[in-house]
Amino acid sequence: MDVFEKAETIMENALVSALSLVSPSGQVSTHPMLPLYSRERRKLYFTSSILFSKKAEYIKKNPKVGVLFSGRQFIKTPFYAAVHLKGDARVYEENLHDGWMWLLDLWRKKEPYIEAYIKQRVALPLFWERIVIEVEPREILLWEEGDVSKEPRRWTR
Amino acid sequence: MSVEVERFSDTVVSFVDDDGYPTSIPVKLRPTEEGFTTDWPAYLRPKKHATLLFNHITPLQTGGYTDRRYLMVRAVVDTAGDRPLFKPVKSYGWDEQKTPFFQYCEQKIGQARSYLAKLSSSLGKPVKPRLSTLALLFRATRFPFLTATAAPVLIGVGSASYLGYFDPVLFMLTLIGASLIHLGLNMTNDYFDHKMGADEKNITPTPFSGGSRIIQYGLLTPSQVALMSSVLYIAGAFLGIYLAFLRGLVPIITIMAVGILISVAYTAPPFKLAYRGLGEAAVGIGFGPVIVLGSHYVQAQTFSVHSLLASIPIGIFITLILYVNEIPDALYDRQAGKNTLVSRLSRNQVVSLYKALLAAAYAVIVLSAAAGYAPLTTLIALATIPTAVKTVRMVNQTYGNPYLMIPALASNIKVATLTGLLHALGFFIWALGSMLL
Repeated sequence: MDVFEKAETIMENALVSALSLVSPSGQVSTHPMLPLYSRERRKLYFTSSILFSKKAEYIKKNPKVGVLFSGRQFIKTPFYAAVHLKGDARVYEENLHDGWMWLLDLWRKKEPYIEAYIKQRVALPLFWERIVIEVEPREILLWEEGDVSKEPRRWTR
Repeated sequence: MSVEVERFSDTVVSFVDDDGYPTSIPVKLRPTEEGFTTDWPAYLRPKKHATLLFNHITPLQTGGYTDRRYLMVRAVVDTAGDRPLFKPVKSYGWDEQKTPFFQYCEQKIGQARSYLAKLSSSLGKPVKPRLSTLALLFRATRFPFLTATAAPVLIGVGSASYLGYFDPVLFMLTLIGASLIHLGLNMTNDYFDHKMGADEKNITPTPFSGGSRIIQYGLLTPSQVALMSSVLYIAGAFLGIYLAFLRGLVPIITIMAVGILISVAYTAPPFKLAYRGLGEAAVGIGFGPVIVLGSHYVQAQTFSVHSLLASIPIGIFITLILYVNEIPDALYDRQAGKNTLVSRLSRNQVVSLYKALLAAAYAVIVLSAAAGYAPLTTLIALATIPTAVKTVRMVNQTYGNPYLMIPALASNIKVATLTGLLHALGFFIWALGSMLL
């Protein structure tokens, strides 16, 4: 498997990732996020409630982001590799109410109980007003077996 | 800064790379006196600033995860021998065990509202959160609380049926009218609690306390809430006036006026009964004698000792719904100058009074039947005593923790409404039996 193919498998099966953004002060801000990778679009997606919208504000000011997939226990694949993706992000916020719903197919594969929460939308209305963050991969670093002491394998666009 | 590193299953170091993109690597961080250090790959040059992420989730066998916590630490980077030394400057995080998810969401409402304001300004049109009309009405009016109106109406009608009066159409009209006024009350309460700042200060609302949050979430404006509340009151009053013309102008108008006055005065200035420690008494009178005697009069065109006695237990039970729901709100109520009974008493006094009022409510049911003012069948209301005892224990065990209290709050509502409904059923069973025999 080449780097991109292997990274795709990791991204598709990882339960959590670390999304890093550059804040207006030039510091990195890192957030644990549920990654939703679309093989069809070859893009990585996140959806964030407007309750936690600071990251979207940062991305609109600086779209350069990094996403790390690591932790053997969070990645349900027969093989393990730590993957870091550098990419350019775009924020979709035209339809906060249900513009993110198309991601549900990807979401429910990782959190099967999410459907039950959506049915309770009335209980947490602001949580379900959501932004979509799309990341177009630019460079991927891949450490076999998660061993970062060795140079990573690279894929660049 | 001390971090219990072992509480986190994953640690990550991030920095801005030479190309301006953030780069992260998974590491094993070790605490030192000055901060944290780690083995660092030779091919990477440490930067002056870094961000550390301590992250933990527990994956579930069934899919998904639980037990979330994370800590983000901004650090300046020094060197300790051939290793980087991360000296913390600032940190930020969340631990689901310390701050339940619902509370965390409530704490972030300001961020959501500020985001929506900026988005509205950049798009040149207002962007607001939405709910479907039905869901919005359900939430805004706190519809499920209508059981607190249904029980006293049924008791009033039941006590009339025990005396031989029952008209199903009048019963439905009474129920609808009283419900409309109750929904109006709920929205008035939200409007004035917003005006006084009590609901804004409350960051631990539960499904049973802290108001509907409809204004705080920006789902409706305060003036929309005031308008909807007025419409509900007018519709309720219209039905009341119609019943008054049909069944007795002065008594029904008087009772309805008292009911509406109490419900508005509950939070509205200048009375603000709830803010002066009189809210519980007002609710007891409103949901007890006012609704029960009114419903009874519509059927029987007379008042009776039977209905007056029957109104006391339900008045107490509905008061206890409010009383126990005040426990999680007490801290914020105090901050907003809302001197509810619970906010002025100690924990022991609150629980003791809770037990005493429960006992009094059940005692009135027994004594009314013993004195012949209620049929023996009303004693089926005592069937809820075991649940009431269990609820007192739950309240005592979870006292003060808003989220752990949710099952206790739900159980308390169940006891109140079920006892009321059984009490009413006792009257109806006897009436039906008398009719058949």
